[in-house]
Amino acid sequence: MVIVRRVKPLPYWIIPIIALLAGIAISVIILYVLMGASPAAVLSAIVYGFTRPGVVAKTFVALTIVGIALLVSFKGSIWNIGGEGQITFGLMAATWVALFTALPYINPGLAQASMILLAMVAGGIWALLAALPRAYLGLDEVPVTLIMNYIAYYIVDILVRGPWLGKHVYNYIRTDTIPSQVMFPQVPGTTMTWDGLFLLIILLVGVWYLLKNTSIGLRIKILGNNPNLLRSSGISVPLMVIVALTISGFIAGSVGALYLGGDVYRISYPVEVHTANYGYTGILVAWLSMLELIAVPIAAYIVSALYTAGIQYQILVGGHLGQLITAGSAIVDVFIGSILLMYTILITISEYKIKIIVKKR
Amino acid sequence: MAAEANNAKPTFLSPPQEGKEPIVSLRGITKRFPGVIALDHIDLDIYPGTVHALLGENGAGKSTLVKVLYGIYTPDEGEIIINGRSTRLTSPADAISTGIVMVSQSPQIIDTLTVAENIILGLEKYNHFVPVTKVYKTIREESKRVGIKIEPGIEVWRLSYTQKQLVEILRAILLGAKVLLLDEAITYLPIEEKKRFYKFIRQFADEGGTVVLITHKIYEAMDVADKITVLRRGKVAGHLDRKEATIEKIRALMFGERSAEITYERLPTAQPEPNTVLEVKDLWVMGDFGGYAVQGVSLEVKEGEVLGIAGVAGNGQKELIQAIMRLRPVIKGKIMYNGEDITRKTTYYLRINGVGYIPDLPAKYGVSIENSIIENIAVLPVYSRGIINWDKIRELTLKLIKEFEIKTPSPDTPVKFLSGGNIMKVLVARELTVATNLLVAYNPTRALDEATAIKVRKIIKDKVLKNKVSAIIASEDLDEIFQISDRIAVMNSGKIVGVFPADKAKREEIEHLMVM
Ligand SMILES: Nc1ncnc2c1ncn2[C@@H]1O[C@H](COP(=O)(O)OP(=O)(O)O)[C@@H](O)[C@H]1O
Ligand SMILES: [Mg+2]
Repeated sequence: MVIVRRVKPLPYWIIPIIALLAGIAISVIILYVLMGASPAAVLSAIVYGFTRPGVVAKTFVALTIVGIALLVSFKGSIWNIGGEGQITFGLMAATWVALFTALPYINPGLAQASMILLAMVAGGIWALLAALPRAYLGLDEVPVTLIMNYIAYYIVDILVRGPWLGKHVYNYIRTDTIPSQVMFPQVPGTTMTWDGLFLLIILLVGVWYLLKNTSIGLRIKILGNNPNLLRSSGISVPLMVIVALTISGFIAGSVGALYLGGDVYRISYPVEVHTANYGYTGILVAWLSMLELIAVPIAAYIVSALYTAGIQYQILVGGHLGQLITAGSAIVDVFIGSILLMYTILITISEYKIKIIVKKR
Repeated sequence: MAAEANNAKPTFLSPPQEGKEPIVSLRGITKRFPGVIALDHIDLDIYPGTVHALLGENGAGKSTLVKVLYGIYTPDEGEIIINGRSTRLTSPADAISTGIVMVSQSPQIIDTLTVAENIILGLEKYNHFVPVTKVYKTIREESKRVGIKIEPGIEVWRLSYTQKQLVEILRAILLGAKVLLLDEAITYLPIEEKKRFYKFIRQFADEGGTVVLITHKIYEAMDVADKITVLRRGKVAGHLDRKEATIEKIRALMFGERSAEITYERLPTAQPEPNTVLEVKDLWVMGDFGGYAVQGVSLEVKEGEVLGIAGVAGNGQKELIQAIMRLRPVIKGKIMYNGEDITRKTTYYLRINGVGYIPDLPAKYGVSIENSIIENIAVLPVYSRGIINWDKIRELTLKLIKEFEIKTPSPDTPVKFLSGGNIMKVLVARELTVATNLLVAYNPTRALDEATAIKVRKIIKDKVLKNKVSAIIASEDLDEIFQISDRIAVMNSGKIVGVFPADKAKREEIEHLMVM
């Protein structure tokens, strides 16, 4: 029996699934050892998370969209860690349409569409600003996009404390609530909105088409594998870097609008505390999908189920409301951390295989 | 994975050498990849103190065979016997511990470290410790002996490709190599330096070492090897002794009936048209490490003409070709294409206006190996702007696969699964299709076996004749230059030092100008 390097890779879905199961098992152990959490309670919370599509729906939609967004840039080996900032910019743009234009009262449908579209444009611009130094100065996009997340938070924080501070907010530092005309209608029996569902479908089909049938999609993929080929073909590498990252930010930005119109209805200060962290969790979704578009919704469902399970666990063991969010998300972090760890280990191991050779005599 | 016993096949042994046992023997080695049997029950004996050449057309299985010997691939069936003992090699470390070390085409050393640091690192990786002073001494002495000077303390990025390859080979020797596997390791070297390497190899063997040499230059193999094994489609086509080897025999074993097509005669030419397609005027271009690599080059290519640029590697050909393709800035001078000044135009402009480009080191600059064949063709802007018409491109790809005899299971196969020669064919096929006006090439057939190389030249020349395409082809292979060119320009130290009509050019004179 020997261990050898694999020539043919495993089917791409095997690793995420094993990582997931092993990650959950490890989480159960960690939560038991560190917090004394009963494995039965944890597991039943997980079962709850996975069997309540209606409850999971809102998170699922957001994470799928972020996953798609990141996939576009990851395919080009452009590591967009700036989903948070792009979403925050989208949130800001959508809020502006909802609170500071007359559009909601004139044409609610158009207003909702404008919120989403403008959020995307804002997310795209924010990503473009990170793309320019990457493309023309060769600055690593990872720290740049990461830092820009915080800059986005502070810009929005300044707005909320200053010009955008609401008039009907008592002592809270937050914007006014958006008019009911632009609160996105819910799909009955679920936590998601019609706007979110439509957007999800459009983006899924659109990005599928982009990657499969357009020269931009093909060039992004080749950018990720060998930019030298783009160069010798006469295609500008900096331009493709900009295109990949901007499209990524454009798509991510829409989640800001969904978050506003279908979830929080206003921005509360400080925005970095009230964010759902979709921009970061989306990175896990993109990785678990192994950068296969059809696997993004599956990965997003799994992650959002775990997300819901974390909160559900807290309810099961009866925490009070204030604790709920933070403790719940701590548990989510344990899940996500364990899965990511298993994933990394498995990816390395999977390059090898165990093989039994029968010697010819 | 159980190996079925293969009783039907008789074991073929090459006649044992007087009194010597083989240092390495292969018995029934079989290796399958999805869709191909790369090695099909290979039997081979390699004796100590010999240079054993491994020949075969592109995709014959040569690289796979030495990778099996180096522990990179484990065979599906068969046995490796080293020094009389059945041995299992599952990693290069295993192979190195038995004295087998491989050097391949591409240097593995790290640019930012010094030569000595690289070698020491390479030794430590395999738990092989040698005093630093010995490393320094060996590098100094051996590099002097080979005649290619290398300072142990110099950083690797300052080295030429030749020097890097020498470092690789010295590292192998310091690792205690008894069997050196050279997989096209000297293929890309300039002729002069190749000769020095061959002398060095000969000496290594005379002192008791063993060399397995892969090359597609048959004459070189006949010159330096004691034994020759020819592979064909994964099988041993024959073993030959140096005494019995003739070029005809080897070609027949390598190519079968295709060997009849091999000829170095000049390919048919036509009278070029009077109008100029490409004109370079007093061109000055910088090299990678500062200084002008191209120093005031002027030349002209007429419609339907092939201009060959002869020269030893590193005399500015690469930079000239890149400047013409607008991949390198022009400091001074002018480039005219069809009467239009393109000195400030982009590569894109050329690519959508009928210019094909075959760069050197195809796997690095010409294709994306992770992508499929069809995607590698579709990426060119002439084929995909906006929405891609996959049906059309698939049709074209299938046509090219057939026309160029590209060995692949399907057009959707990632290029990395093709053999080096087939990768080159993908590139040449694609570029000849887009070159409706001008082909710019640098060593277009270097990675190809003889029969394929000649075929590619014929296809290029055909295209030039039929479609009145022009071509500028820089090559370090004089056979190629003579076979394909209408005019030959010799480049030396960044300058054109002579231009000759190919039918009147004298080989000695050109060789002299190249090294002058
Ligand atoms: N890693 C691989 N995966 C799939 N096919 C391969 C791989 N390596 C080599 N092959 C195939 O095996 C055959 C032999 O290839 P190779 O040993 O590289 O040939 P050579 O070195 O003689 O040109 C070719 O058909 C090639 O496409
Ligand atoms: Mg090879």
